[in-house]
Amino acid sequence: MRIPSAIGRSLRAKVMVLALATTISALVLSAVGLIIYDLQAYERQWSTDLVTQAEVIARASAPALSFGDRETATQDLTVLRVRPRVLSAALYTRDGKLFATYVRPDITPPEFPPMPVTDGYRIADGQLILFRTVVENGEHIGSVHLRSLYDPWERLTDYLTIMFVVMIASLMVAGLIFGWLQSAVTGPILEVARVARDVREKRDYSLRAVKTTEDEIGQLVDSFNAMVAETGRRAEALRLADQRKDEFLATLAHELRNPLAPIRNALEILRLAGTDEAKSRPAREMMERQLVQMVRLVDDLLDVSRITTGKLAVRKTVLELQSVLRDAVEIARPFIESRRHKFDLVLPHEPVVIEGDRTRLAQVFSNLLNNAAKYTDTGGQILLSAAVEGRAAVVRVRDNGIGLGGQSLDAIFDMFVQVDRTLERSQAGLGVGLTLAKRLVELHDGTIEARSEGEGKGSEFVVRLPLSGARLEGGAGRLDSDHEAKGRRILLADDNVDFVTSLGQLLSARGHDVRIAYDGVEALAAAEEFAPEVAFVDIGMPKVHGYEVARRLRAAPATSGALLVAVTGWGQENDRKRAREAGFDRHLVKPVEPGDIEAILKSY
Amino acid sequence: MTVGLRRALLVACLALCALEARAQQATEASVKAAFLYKFPGYVEWPTAPAAGTPFVIGVAGSDEVAEELERLVPGRQIHGRAVTVRRVREPEAVRGTQVLFVGRAEPNARAYLRAAREAGSLGVTETERGLEQGSAINFVTVEDRVGFEVSVDAAEKASLRISSRMLAIARRVVPRS
Repeated sequence: MRIPSAIGRSLRAKVMVLALATTISALVLSAVGLIIYDLQAYERQWSTDLVTQAEVIARASAPALSFGDRETATQDLTVLRVRPRVLSAALYTRDGKLFATYVRPDITPPEFPPMPVTDGYRIADGQLILFRTVVENGEHIGSVHLRSLYDPWERLTDYLTIMFVVMIASLMVAGLIFGWLQSAVTGPILEVARVARDVREKRDYSLRAVKTTEDEIGQLVDSFNAMVAETGRRAEALRLADQRKDEFLATLAHELRNPLAPIRNALEILRLAGTDEAKSRPAREMMERQLVQMVRLVDDLLDVSRITTGKLAVRKTVLELQSVLRDAVEIARPFIESRRHKFDLVLPHEPVVIEGDRTRLAQVFSNLLNNAAKYTDTGGQILLSAAVEGRAAVVRVRDNGIGLGGQSLDAIFDMFVQVDRTLERSQAGLGVGLTLAKRLVELHDGTIEARSEGEGKGSEFVVRLPLSGARLEGGAGRLDSDHEAKGRRILLADDNVDFVTSLGQLLSARGHDVRIAYDGVEALAAAEEFAPEVAFVDIGMPKVHGYEVARRLRAAPATSGALLVAVTGWGQENDRKRAREAGFDRHLVKPVEPGDIEAILKSY
Repeated sequence: MTVGLRRALLVACLALCALEARAQQATEASVKAAFLYKFPGYVEWPTAPAAGTPFVIGVAGSDEVAEELERLVPGRQIHGRAVTVRRVREPEAVRGTQVLFVGRAEPNARAYLRAAREAGSLGVTETERGLEQGSAINFVTVEDRVGFEVSVDAAEKASLRISSRMLAIARRVVPRS
């Protein structure tokens, strides 16, 4: 059944219709039942009533009949005028002659029927006609005859009228009761609906529905309020995240744009200087510094995307903590020195063995050192110390810089959060260093913690990493980053001509013997003749792809023992697995840095 | 027309009138007899008679009524008893009757009625001053229609109770004194 739209929109109207429909249904059903019963009982009741009437008349008129007193008999019948439904009546003598009659005054006298032999009644033409013998002292002395209206339809009409009136009254009462119950049942729901509408229209998540009952509606109100509160929290969190992202984008644009002007200037200087080494050197050095800054920014950006997409991964090996820290110091030292800070490094004498990703851990500690240098006024003090406490290696980076307010201690690790936005922009960074550090430490099953006595009182970052039970492979010299690399025979196979050419020149400049191939076929040909010790192979090469190249290199006697490094644009575990199966020893994800290649060559 | 014929016609006329009078008398007598038979239905006697004894209606001073009654009662019952008619010639014979009718031909009505009262019998008369003479019921004829009047006082003196239903159709009721 289609519900009228006005009812469909209002709960109040629905409940009202429900209440009234119930009332009407109950009334109609009971009335119909009553009427059916009554119409059935009507004939019995009315005939019984008339028989009684006839009996009374017979009894009263018996003496008059006995003694032939027509006058009294007629008077007895006249009593019937108080029963307007009785149209006519008659008394017959024993031998069937009319003795006395009564006719309702307003109708024309009917023809009285002859006296029947037996008692009883019949219904004809809407009239009930009745005969009853009069017996006095055991003797049949005559008969009574009554003729009355018999109209069940009239009675039905009466009933319908009564029912109509009762129904109107009932509906009014039901309406009153509904109005009274309204506040108890639909009131709280309407309240929730009203608040929900307000929340939606005003976007005010501090609004709450008032709970008035402890029943299911009360639970609904509680749930609703909890949901509004949760939505409010999320909306606020989204707004903050959005705001941070906007700030980040602004910062990023700014940071990327900044080095470009000096680089352009340097290019102009180079053009003017021509071959004058004395004039071009400072320009080249400036370009180098600016480029390092840009590379750092873009690296941060890549890490940001890895964090947000959950693709940040570490490759754990057994490491000596001291060498990792020295790597970090090497990365951060130029910046620390440029800020003219006093730097102290305190390391335990015994090797502290941990399991982790050397590059990533170095990134963590260099980030912490850079932060310390950045948020400490020039000429400050920075201390990097390491120690073993229980089953953990503890690394502390302490400074006497601007410190952290109490509120910043937890938030400092959130994405894009920076302590001091007023800081000089050239060194501001993107605000992802600590977030990245925290993620990386957690990936090493460690913890990181920020401490500060308060603003202006310096800060301390404490990193705890679990100790490894494994022994270090090889001697300490293997881990020595200062160890001079010897020249290797290196094959570079990649279809990116610019990348592979520049990389080849760089490696050649460092004393390596380098061959370059631009596709799979060239790579295999070069390998056969050249027998490289190390091969960097791009997977997505033309003609023969990298996996196939690796398989053939492994199969060839000259290169079966070579270090094979896969270079791909994809760093998924699936790709790494496929590379391992093809015979690769290592896996590099583009963009490949010269440093990555140096690290691989060093560890070989 | 001869004188003889005239006389004959006159005689015939008189005879017819007499016949008619007789017929009327007979009708009145039969109505009264019927009434006498019906009255006991509305009257209560204080003591129940011995079982098997008949209900006796005594008639004094009216052979016509007695005859009509004798014709009427055979096979009929009053209060569950067979009905007999007794022609009463002297007041002493009233004892044993339940109803006593004293016709207007009886000169010594008062004595009969006194006897009836003493015997607990329902005294019925048909004269204008019947009730004053001591009867409980007295026939009155108005416009050729037989009716009756009742003295509750007289009935109660004979220890009889007359139904109010019968009083309702009485022409006149003398209440108890």
